[in-house]
Amino acid sequence: MFTKVLIANRGEIAVRILRACRELGIKTVAVYSTADRQALHVRYATEAYLLGPAPSSESYLKGDKIIEIALKSGAGAIHPGYGFLAENAAFAQAVEDAGLEFIGPSPFAISSMGDKAIARKTMLEAGVPVVPGTTGTDRLSDDELLKLAPGVGFPLLIKATAGGGGKGMREVKSIEEMPSALNSARGEAMSAFGEDNVYLEKLLLGARHIEIQVLADKFGNVIHLNERECSLQRRHQKLLEEAPSPAMTEELRERMGEVAVQAAKAVSYESAGTIECLVDKDKNFYFLEMNTRLQVEHPITELVTGVDIVMEQIRIARGRQLSLKQEDIKINGAAIECRINAEDPYNNFMPSTGHISHTVLPTGPGVRIDTGVYLGTEITPYYDSMISKLIVWGENRAQAILRMRRALAEYRVVGVRTNIPFHQTMMDSHRFLSGRYDTRFVEEEFDMEEMVEGKETYPDIAAIVATLVKHEQTERSAHVVRRNARDTSNWKWLSRWERLSK
Amino acid sequence: MEYITTIDGKEFQIEIIDKEHVSVDGKIVKVDFESVRSQPIFSLIVDGKSYEAYVYEGEENLEVLIKGRLYHSQVEDERERRLRAAAGGSKAASGTFYLKAPMPGLVVSVLVEEGQEVKEGDVLLILESMKMQNELRSPQDGVIGRIQVSGGDSVVQRQKMLSVE
Repeated sequence: MFTKVLIANRGEIAVRILRACRELGIKTVAVYSTADRQALHVRYATEAYLLGPAPSSESYLKGDKIIEIALKSGAGAIHPGYGFLAENAAFAQAVEDAGLEFIGPSPFAISSMGDKAIARKTMLEAGVPVVPGTTGTDRLSDDELLKLAPGVGFPLLIKATAGGGGKGMREVKSIEEMPSALNSARGEAMSAFGEDNVYLEKLLLGARHIEIQVLADKFGNVIHLNERECSLQRRHQKLLEEAPSPAMTEELRERMGEVAVQAAKAVSYESAGTIECLVDKDKNFYFLEMNTRLQVEHPITELVTGVDIVMEQIRIARGRQLSLKQEDIKINGAAIECRINAEDPYNNFMPSTGHISHTVLPTGPGVRIDTGVYLGTEITPYYDSMISKLIVWGENRAQAILRMRRALAEYRVVGVRTNIPFHQTMMDSHRFLSGRYDTRFVEEEFDMEEMVEGKETYPDIAAIVATLVKHEQTERSAHVVRRNARDTSNWKWLSRWERLSK
Repeated sequence: MEYITTIDGKEFQIEIIDKEHVSVDGKIVKVDFESVRSQPIFSLIVDGKSYEAYVYEGEENLEVLIKGRLYHSQVEDERERRLRAAAGGSKAASGTFYLKAPMPGLVVSVLVEEGQEVKEGDVLLILESMKMQNELRSPQDGVIGRIQVSGGDSVVQRQKMLSVE
């Protein structure tokens, strides 16, 4: 049984995993790029080793170097976190081959879920409903796809079989748009994943993105930890998640949970994983994909179920049986997570880089913050723009919303622009409050300006502040000029002048 | 000192009388204004009501964030206003827009050519930063001037990439 874990990641998730290890009394090994020398995960770990320069291709994606460090430092297991190498079956295999424990599912489970076409086929065979579209796992040419498209029906999505994070995905409204969309989807997939195979999927309108968390041990025991609602997204990036889903019924939860357990069993899954589904207006649900790793939004499930998912992952990897049974899993209250990103919501969510020169984190009852950011952190263009995850718990959804409003108002980040105003606007929007939203809401209906209409504004206060700031700046610059002019005292100047004239 | 301050199109006449008093459109208000330890955070108490504001330096003006809402401001004193009036004032006169990199990143592709006509809102260039591809659009109708970058180039923040004339 391993007693030291290498964490092959950075940022908040590396810190999150370090915390679980510390609580279990397990020693930790951090790896880092030159850009992260001062990062929290380096400082919190028992040991830390440099991987390479800032770009992830030269650091956090260097699987062989990570395994070498694990062996050298005597770590018995590697936790990949999310992103980077987390869903790389070849890496998981290499870890196993090196005689180390990979804290996650088997390479077989990763690869059978990693190729979306294979995953769809596996799920269909296991009796899990999938989003209507092309089936089969053969490579299809553009001509074949053009022939199949009308059968799938428009609008539809072209998706890369190796896809993820919205890359290699194109929406198509009619057959005329197909050829150019196929071309660009394949191009993007090739550059992102080195593989340009695509398939077609019907675009479900008015659907919600709901996912089920599962836990599975090495002995075939599988349970689910209920759902997370993740419909609030922009460009296929989740922004805000909540548990439980306001659209869920007890009956649907039971059906989806059963199917998720079935899906996990179909690939002999072990560790924590997530089944992502689309749920339409009539509460029909369809398998979308399985994420064979820890999810960014796992904390909301932890808050409502009381289960520490990362700790469970480590216990499972250590060969323990699941201590929990399905009937032990209850939903207590409601939780919401806001992803705080360095993005400017007033400027089309443009990423913002810079130094965090000042930050005050919200605290108090029911508030949890997962972050890897510290004072002086530089938000660089090398990694993603997430600064932290602000998570709150309430006795019910209404209390959680009130608490999130309070926490967002307390949160201070100076140095980069953040999407905190976006979340504040969302917390006040009637659509969010009533829980009536779908995956298109943020992109098609949400407007920062419109949403604040009817709310009290303070243009006069803004005018006073702007004027006072400008006034101070003018005064200060005038002062600086005066001080420079006096830099040398008049007496000194006189004596120098006298010496010169001698 | 007198200023004309515009907030999202609405003008305010503001006079700074002394450290504790300003006049807003002729009405005198008592203010208590503190900047928080060299941070761009300001605390303003007006008639017992407390406000906290973040002030960001924009390209040529200040942006003020109060209670989750952003206000665009323009502050001018009398002299600046006269100068601007004399210069003809409007932004349309100068015409040329320089597309600068809003953040460091990698130019994925330039979607326009020199001499090409573009409309407001057309995508000019795709810049990758923080794992996201960002479409940079033209804020005005015009013709593409010199293009100074090409696909695959790394750019630093505020680097000029192309112009729309």
